[in-house]
Formats: sequence, C-alpha cells, structure tokens
Amino acid sequence: MAQPKEIFVRLDRCMGCHSCELACAVEHSQSKSLYSAISEKPTPQSRVYVEWVPPDNRLPVLCRHCEDAPCMHACICGAISRTEEGVVMTNADKCIGCWTCVMVCPYGVIGRHLQEHKAYRCDRCPDLEIPACVNSCPTKALVYRTVDEFSKDVRRVASREMLSGEGG
Amino acid sequence: MANNERRYVIIGASAAGMAAAEAIRQSDSTGFITVLSEEPVQPYFRPMIPFLISGKKSVADMTLVGQGPYSGTGIDVRLNSKAEAIDTKNQTVTVQGGDLVLYDRLLIATGSRPYIPPEIEGTEAAGVFALRTLTDALAAADCAAQADHVVMLGGGLLNLKAAFALLERGLDVTLVVYSPEVLSQLMEPDDAVLIRDALNKAGLKIMTDCSATHILSQAGGVNGVLLNSGQEMFCQMVCIGKGVFPNVNFLEQSDVQVDQGVVVDRFTACNAANVFAAGDVAVTFDPITSDRIVTGLWTNAVEMGRCAGYNMAGRTTEYTGTFGILNATQVADEPFVSMGIVHTSGTDYETHVFSTRNTYRKLVFSEDGERLVGAVFVGDISHAGLYRYVMREKMDVAKIKPFIIKHTLHYGHLLLP
Ligand SMILES: Cc1cc2nc3c(=O)[nH]c(=O)nc-3n(C[C@H](O)[C@H](O)[C@H](O)COP(=O)(O)OP(=O)(O)OC[C@H]3O[C@@H](n4cnc5c(N)ncnc54)[C@H](O)[C@@H]3O)c2cc1C
Repeated sequence: MAQPKEIFVRLDRCMGCHSCELACAVEHSQSKSLYSAISEKPTPQSRVYVEWVPPDNRLPVLCRHCEDAPCMHACICGAISRTEEGVVMTNADKCIGCWTCVMVCPYGVIGRHLQEHKAYRCDRCPDLEIPACVNSCPTKALVYRTVDEFSKDVRRVASREMLSGEGG
Repeated sequence: MANNERRYVIIGASAAGMAAAEAIRQSDSTGFITVLSEEPVQPYFRPMIPFLISGKKSVADMTLVGQGPYSGTGIDVRLNSKAEAIDTKNQTVTVQGGDLVLYDRLLIATGSRPYIPPEIEGTEAAGVFALRTLTDALAAADCAAQADHVVMLGGGLLNLKAAFALLERGLDVTLVVYSPEVLSQLMEPDDAVLIRDALNKAGLKIMTDCSATHILSQAGGVNGVLLNSGQEMFCQMVCIGKGVFPNVNFLEQSDVQVDQGVVVDRFTACNAANVFAAGDVAVTFDPITSDRIVTGLWTNAVEMGRCAGYNMAGRTTEYTGTFGILNATQVADEPFVSMGIVHTSGTDYETHVFSTRNTYRKLVFSEDGERLVGAVFVGDISHAGLYRYVMREKMDVAKIKPFIIKHTLHYGHLLLP
C-alpha cells in the first residue's frame, strides 16, 4: 500500500490567523457554507486548535492519528478504530460520551460536543482531496504529505537555511 | 519449540485477555491463541452493561470483536470454559469438565468479581444484584421491570452508573453510602459538591454516613433493607457496589505467587515460568508513588494486557504502571475526570483548588511543588490527557505551572520551550 498522507505542521510559519479553524468547522457542518454553518444546530466544531505560546509563537494542534493511539485502546465501548488509510476515527453512533479518550490523549485534541454528548476529532476530511485546514492555510503552515515527502522537505529547507546562513 | 507453533493460552476473555490476544497476533502470525472464558457470551465491553438496564443499548451493541482495535483474527475464544486449576510444571490448564489444555505461554486475565460484605445479612435473596457481567445486567433488567424502588449499597462510580440506568427506567432509587459523600474513592467530599448537586437534581435519593445491616426478603424475594440506624426501607431490588476483588481462587493449588492479586514483575511475568498476568487480577504499581496496587480499570487492563501479549510473543516490553485512580465519566450531565493523587486532606501536597458555579478543579503538586501528581476536573475536563501526560512523565513543571493551575495548558506549552 502506498504511504498515506498526513497533516504536518511547519512551526515557523503559523501566524495565528485561525483560518484553519474556520475552514474545519465549516467542512464539518451540514451545509458546508460559512453563512449557514453559523446558525446550525448542533453547532459545527473545529477539530484543529490554534494555540498561542508566549511570547509570540502560534501553532495549530490537531489529532496526530498516533501509531499506538492511546485513545483507541482506552475507549471503553469500541467506538474508536483505525481506517485503512491510517486515520484514527471516532464512530459518533457508538460513542457514549464517557470522555475516557479525552483523559488519555496526550495532545489534548479530542473535543467534546456538548449538545450531542459525543467526542470528536480530526477525520482528515474524508470527502476532500486535501483537508480543509491545509487548503485554507495562507502561509502553508499546514501541509498534507506522506512522511517521506515531509522529511525530504524538512531536509531541503534545513540545507537551504544552512546555505543562506553561510552566505549571510 | 518453534515460534510458529507456539500455544498461547489466555484465561479470561475481557479487556486484558482480548487485548493480549490481539498483541500476540500482531507479533506472531502463526501461533495458536486460545482464550478460555467462564462466561456464556462472546467478549463484550464490560463498562457498557449499565445500558442493558436502562434499555438504551442491546447486547449486540456491546460486542467486542470487530470493534475498535479488536479484529479477533485467528483467536479461538472458548465460552463456558472455566479454568479450574493450572499446573505450571506440566504447563497445563484444567478446564471445567476435565479437559486439559497445554500451553507454552499462559496469561492469567481472570479479572475481578464483586465484593459482597459478609456483615450484611440476607445478600443471597432473589432481587439482590452486584453488577459485573452481562448476565448480571440482563437479570437486573428483568428484576427492574417488576420493581418500583431500588436500594443501592455503595456510592462508587459503578453504583452511580447503575443508579442512573435505573432512574432512566423511571424507578425510585436510593443510594446508601457509608462514607460522608459519594465517590469517596475517587475524590474528597469538597471535590464532589457539583456532582452531588447534579445527582440530587436528577432525582437520586442519597443517604450518606449510613450502611445496611440486613437485606429483608420473603418467598418472592427482596422486600426491604434495614439500616444501621434502625431505619427500614421498603424496596423490591438491591444493588451492591462495594468494590471488587481479584479472581484468584483457581490458583490455590498452584505455585503462582498471589498477594491479593497475582504478583508480576515489570514485564508482567509471574514467578512461575511462562506465566503472565494482566488486568484487574494482577498486582500493578503506581508510577508516581511506586505503591503496589490492584486496580479496577478497563484502560489499565487493556494496556497491561497488550504489554503481556507482546512479552508472551517474545517482544520484550516494559509495563509502566497505572495511576490507581484514572477515571473519566459523566454522571447526571456532569462530566468529571479524577486521576493520580487526589486525597490530600492532612497531607503536605501543594494543592490548588478553584471553583465556579458550574466548574471545579483541584491540581495537586508534590510537596516541593515541582511535579504534578494529581488532578480533579469537574464540569470542564478539556485537555485532561495533557495533565495526565505531565503527571505520568513526572515532568518538571516550573515553566508550565501557571497554565496547569489555570487549566489553560495546551500542547504548545509542552512542545515549545
Ligand atoms: C458496570 C461497570 C462499569 C465500568 N466502567 C468503567 C469505566 O468507565 N472505566 C474503567 O476504566 N473501568 C470501568 N469498569 C471496570 C472494568 O470493566 C474492569 O476494570 C475491566 O473489565 C477489567 O478487565 P479484565 O480483563 O482484567 O477482567 P474482567 O473484565 O473482569 O474479565 C475477566 C474475565 O475472566 C473470566 N474468568 C474469571 N475466572 C475465570 C476462570 N477461572 N476461567 C475462565 N474465565 C474466568 C470472567 O468471567 C471474565 O469474563 C467498569 C466495570 C463495570 C462492571
């Protein structure tokens, strides 16, 4: 099987504009349009969180779909499983809202939908070619790549920075 | 014996046993995996059985195999197969009925069963339940269909879940609690105020600081409970939730070391060769206090079971222990998480408490204030897993302490220095 793509964060790029949060919430609304999504019930929720680290770092945080997903193993009702594409998915129909997953996620990226009494998290936008958050990011802080592609990218950037460092 | 025909035998087909079976299968694609279960039904998610009482879910909704990480591939589960004895010299298990099962690697994952306090008289009457198995829950549901008033003995989480299931069926439910407040194992009375309010509002009647001495019955079954105060309450059903104890009886004649539960080393191995143990039946340890503990946690049973499975298949894996308290749930629309050291009265832990009208939190730090050792969140439990991580990794909290105390910690604080 080809290596699946994942959402990667380039820490140095996020400006904290929150575009990804908006795009995510809209993509996970019924209407998929910002104007109607605002008044929908249950209220559409973003699954990506732009956090601020003082003094001036910002970063989007979202489900890593961990290889050894603690949430999946801890779930007391079998609602969390991994798809063939490697996406760790919460089945809302099965979720009983016991929040065990929230208690064990070391990234803090599992949300609680209070109106629906269900846990939710990034599903990598199964209906889209490129996840909504990635697509909306104006600075390309979020990228959608395979692990190999991403590490190649990182190496390329690093070597470029080294070069420019030497030159400057 | 070549690895490819290794015989793995697991006693107990629940969280620890089935998690181990999957882990073995992941590491050894050809060995034989046999899981012996005393129960007459296919493995299921035990914490879901209260939904059989409320009627909100069916037996099929709780099936374990085919859900979450449980594929069941190449795992032979034998129902109605109670292990009666094990012989660690000849490496055999005697199954009820006389069958002998040979093993190369054995896992004891027999869990625990409800503790029925012997000082309460009359507990064998029809209509008295201690909820542990799916069969118990179905019987309790039948009984509830005929009852108006249920008395629950014990104020722990399990009894609260059962109490809510019964309330949802429209029954009157009275909880008799020996401690001064509900959930005393998981938090201190002051921590439980919001939860208590929510329980009261939901219509649960709670009597604290009292206990039952007799369960009264006639030919037809239970008809009342006599309390230590002398008060008598009429009821048609009683549920006992007074804790659990490990299922180790069948090990009496064996040389497997038992001290409350089955004693294991850091790699989940018993003193007897090729024998492992995991889950509620095993003695584990708390990574913060290093205390040896016996737990009743699904999460731990799975984690320890997986670890045992890897070790049985030859992939050496260290088990890192579990907090004795590691509970998340929602009762009466009030979510809460309790983990680590939370009983702080009379201790020197550095404790920070903050409460509003609808949230409460308590963060407990080591005496020198450098490590987070416990947390209770009520109402708002967001990011609870990060706090667990900080506790478990024994992180130096100097830089993140204000965020912890304010409950604003996020992953960025841990990632970026
Ligand atoms: C109503 C309820 C709600 C709960 N809610 C939660 C929760 O929210 N969170 C949480 O973390 N935990 C919860 N728990 C606790 C959790 O279910 C247990 O900690 C967990 O099931 C332990 O798993 P285990 O595999 O160690 O043992 P068990 O689940 O006890 O399974 C052991 C199995 O072995 C079988 N067995 C015993 N002796 C033998 C023998 N001699 N031969 C063959 N088979 C044998 C038993 O019949 C049983 O099927 C709850 C429990 C209950 C009852």
